[in-house]
Amino acid sequence: MRINNFEFRIKNEEFRKYNKTKAIKSKGMRLLRRPDKSGLLAMTFLGVVLILVCFNTAFSMGGPAKTREAMKDSLVYLEISSYGYDQFRPWRTTDVVEKGGVGCAVGDNLVITPAWGLTNVKLIQARVMGQNEYLPAKVKIIDFEIDLALIEIEPNALKKPLKPIKFADRFERGAKLNFYWLSPDSELIGGQGTLDRGDVLHSPVSYTFNLNLVVTNTSQETGIGQLYCDGLTPIGISCWAQGTAETGLIPASVINGFLSRVKEANYPGIPSVGFATDQLLDPTMRGYLKMPGTMKNGVLVRDVYNLGTGADSLKANDVILAIDGRELDAYGKFLHPAYDRILFHPLVTDHKIGDDIAFDIWRDGKKQTLKVKATNFDSGEMLVPFYEYGQQPKYVVTGGYVFQKLTRSYLTNWGENWDGKVQPHLLYYLRDKSFKPTVQRKEIVMLSYVLPSQINLGYTDLGQLVVSTFNGMPVSRISDIIKAQKLNPDSKYDVVEFEMDHPTVVIPRQVLPAADSQISTNYGVRKLVNVE
Amino acid sequence: MRNQKTEDRRRSAAESQLGQRTENRSRYIQTVFLFFCGLIALGGESKAAGLGGMEKSMVMIRSAGQEFDFVTPWKPKSLAQGVGSGFIIEGNKILTNAHNVSNNKYLELQKEDVAKRFLAKAAFIGHDCDLAVLTVDDANFFEDTNALEMAELPAINTTVSTFGFPMGGKRISVTEGVVSRIQMDAYAHTGADSHLVIQTDAAINPGNSGGPVMQGGKVVGVAFQGLRQADNIGYMIPTTVIKHFLADINDGKYDGFGTLGVMLYPGLHNPGYKDYLKVPAEEQGIVVIDTIMHSSVESILKTGDVLVQIDEYKIDNDGRVEIHGLKLDLSEAVEQKQTGQTAEIAFYRDGQLTKATATVALNKPVFEYDRQYDIKPRYVCFAGLVFVPATRNYLEAWGQDWLKEIPFSLRYLFHNSMQLNTDRQRKEYVVLSEIMPDEINAYAGGYKSQVIENINGTAVEGLDDVWKAFEKTDEDFYRLKFMGVERLLIIDAKEAHARQPEIMEKYDIPKQTTAEGSK
Repeated sequence: MRINNFEFRIKNEEFRKYNKTKAIKSKGMRLLRRPDKSGLLAMTFLGVVLILVCFNTAFSMGGPAKTREAMKDSLVYLEISSYGYDQFRPWRTTDVVEKGGVGCAVGDNLVITPAWGLTNVKLIQARVMGQNEYLPAKVKIIDFEIDLALIEIEPNALKKPLKPIKFADRFERGAKLNFYWLSPDSELIGGQGTLDRGDVLHSPVSYTFNLNLVVTNTSQETGIGQLYCDGLTPIGISCWAQGTAETGLIPASVINGFLSRVKEANYPGIPSVGFATDQLLDPTMRGYLKMPGTMKNGVLVRDVYNLGTGADSLKANDVILAIDGRELDAYGKFLHPAYDRILFHPLVTDHKIGDDIAFDIWRDGKKQTLKVKATNFDSGEMLVPFYEYGQQPKYVVTGGYVFQKLTRSYLTNWGENWDGKVQPHLLYYLRDKSFKPTVQRKEIVMLSYVLPSQINLGYTDLGQLVVSTFNGMPVSRISDIIKAQKLNPDSKYDVVEFEMDHPTVVIPRQVLPAADSQISTNYGVRKLVNVE
Repeated sequence: MRNQKTEDRRRSAAESQLGQRTENRSRYIQTVFLFFCGLIALGGESKAAGLGGMEKSMVMIRSAGQEFDFVTPWKPKSLAQGVGSGFIIEGNKILTNAHNVSNNKYLELQKEDVAKRFLAKAAFIGHDCDLAVLTVDDANFFEDTNALEMAELPAINTTVSTFGFPMGGKRISVTEGVVSRIQMDAYAHTGADSHLVIQTDAAINPGNSGGPVMQGGKVVGVAFQGLRQADNIGYMIPTTVIKHFLADINDGKYDGFGTLGVMLYPGLHNPGYKDYLKVPAEEQGIVVIDTIMHSSVESILKTGDVLVQIDEYKIDNDGRVEIHGLKLDLSEAVEQKQTGQTAEIAFYRDGQLTKATATVALNKPVFEYDRQYDIKPRYVCFAGLVFVPATRNYLEAWGQDWLKEIPFSLRYLFHNSMQLNTDRQRKEYVVLSEIMPDEINAYAGGYKSQVIENINGTAVEGLDDVWKAFEKTDEDFYRLKFMGVERLLIIDAKEAHARQPEIMEKYDIPKQTTAEGSK
């Protein structure tokens, strides 16, 4: 992918990793359900060898057995049942999927786990050590942007309160870590890995860039939510894995930030970055921007969104020299005391909503400092939402025409190489306009396809078109269709116009109710409208 | 999904052109050798019984050609050789398929049972209809030959015979079949043109193309392509198309098949749409969606007009007219005209019937859909940046699956150039096709395959604008803005001009081409 599509490049690379993780997760499940003797034997052998070969005091002190004993009342097994909606037939749900997850206790009956496992959750049942039965649980708070969720187990169901885990930041490059999880058969299982680095990476579940710890060479494949410890100190929970080669952790600092925010009355979330950056290595470009030759730092603002932090203060071709006094290099990285050079995003996201953040920028040949307010936005506020987890897609079926709100999930549903398959005009909105809703246009409404019927004879081939007006009214959101249907009461028809060159769709109002009824029965569309 | 048809430009042909049997050099020599052996074995006497004298009209055409590279156009591409068929027509000419002779550097003809070889030239090539006319310098070639005459369209289910030099042998082969179907269909040679075709189940194989299909001693078509995944489906170019081509080249120049320049949709199938457009109940017609920029109908027709008649032909709800005794797309009526000729159109607007005169013209899209041949690709190379026009040929450099593989900006333009282009002065889109590495362009990698929008604020509407922009030396930097890309590519102007000779020499790039001449 292109340098100028910096974020999408990283996204694609990371997503390729994450797609592998899905396979890994189910493998992990089989491991969880039937930990075979040979596996345990191998682990024991490995443990012995490690003790003998490596005279690491941190390892012999508070070793795996001791930590395991300490952890047994803090780890929870989660049985997660989820189902979503069929993107192409949004009145239908997809099949129920059941998978296992891991939670770490952070309160008497509160547990955290990555949000990624809960994207379309409908039911959670928990299992703890010492109790055989499944305990009902529900999601209390979920934040897809930092990929964490707080789950509450029915307090009366627990025989004794959970032992909360205290996460602490501890980073020693090369440290040998132990990780733990509770299997469905209430076995406390562990593994080892090496702490390699801290890095800012694209989220597997949202459009954000998050701070992760990266662990290499784990002794077995990690599922998400597993607890990672350095000696006796819990330092993070796993959020993605690429085989046993690399595993990503949500670090203690992020977890603790989340835990303090959940105490507030309305969970505020974290600030969102409202601009895209690009490396500024080219000396000719720097010269063009009138930057002195001695100035080697600073990252280019490639594009500014309509949403998020910096949206109303930054301009394209600004160069961000520092955020909160922390200098950014030409790649947009700053020097973190523990993790060395990492991307700038935590400098924004570690703030509280409403904070003023100091941006030192280079603009029009000189330096200035902007006071930028930390704000955030929901995926739902985007012109083309990145996700709509747990929600039924918004749609209107009228006269057999399936109108739907465009989201990223709709496009990725086309499968492998979806970006080579979908209509370019739809992809244009995703690529160039996702973060740019306007007052006139909050959503992209498209005609997905037509359910053939008498009323739409001659139009049945239409599909993948962007709606521009309905009964003359510009369509800003899908709910506008409902409003527009009431316009022009004297007209015999509902009239729909599309962008680019396409025929006008004409729907005769008189026969519409009967047609809708017939279509609903014929095609099993129980609910014809889902707008809000 | 493309759901409305432009009159006669449909993309993606499932059919494969059968074209030439391609042979490499060693096989060529082998073939010649075997041919001579065969001749000697037969005692040099032609076994023409049963061919009905066709051997006096048939010609085997060997062509050697060279493809062009559309990404780095100064580099020659691989040589290719092929064999196809052709036949003699009046005026000492040979008719064959364009794909037999496109991009040729050398043409050699052979007659059945005559030992001599003759060199030929492609006098006229009609790529958009896959026909070509060859001439032979040596007038003796036409001694003892018989020019074939053109017939009218054959009737369905009547017998036809194909003659040619298909694979599997070296002598004229004849196969027989019936006329299965007559309809408009895509011509695979350019990939974006369609005209009338006749389908037959007479075996048409690689090597047959360019050969005549005969009925009652006259030509009813030129065999030219087949359907790979089917049995017994071969296609021929009907005489209506051939006659159009021959009439076109009469003035010494091939202009091509024209269109009205209108985008249509068969919307009247929906009674609601018909009523909404106020078309009288008894009328049939086809809905105008848009008109092509610079076409004659641009100032005549509007979105929502309903075309009901063209000349004497009434248009039905499928956009078809009764012509040649068949129901065919209305573009067949347009194809009876040469470019520059007019057609009378009748259409409804707001319930009123209006008549107007439209002029048939080439109406080429601003992003060329047709595969091009026999045209040396143009380019500009400056600061190691190679700019070429965005054409289908360039896109096909991405391989078989190019439609899915090409970068987004190109795909968006290719699909929607008609709607996205609002610049009336635009001749073509220009792409940065390749970067010849040098310190001056060390940071340009991200812009490869992107379409250039403007240089220093001046819109790039054609390849020449690129060269003109780089000729100016009044600014310190060249600011290159690409379509759909926010970030500018900045090139140091003085530095670029200073390094230009060295770059051109380093990569052995000859003169850069412009419309006015070479630099």
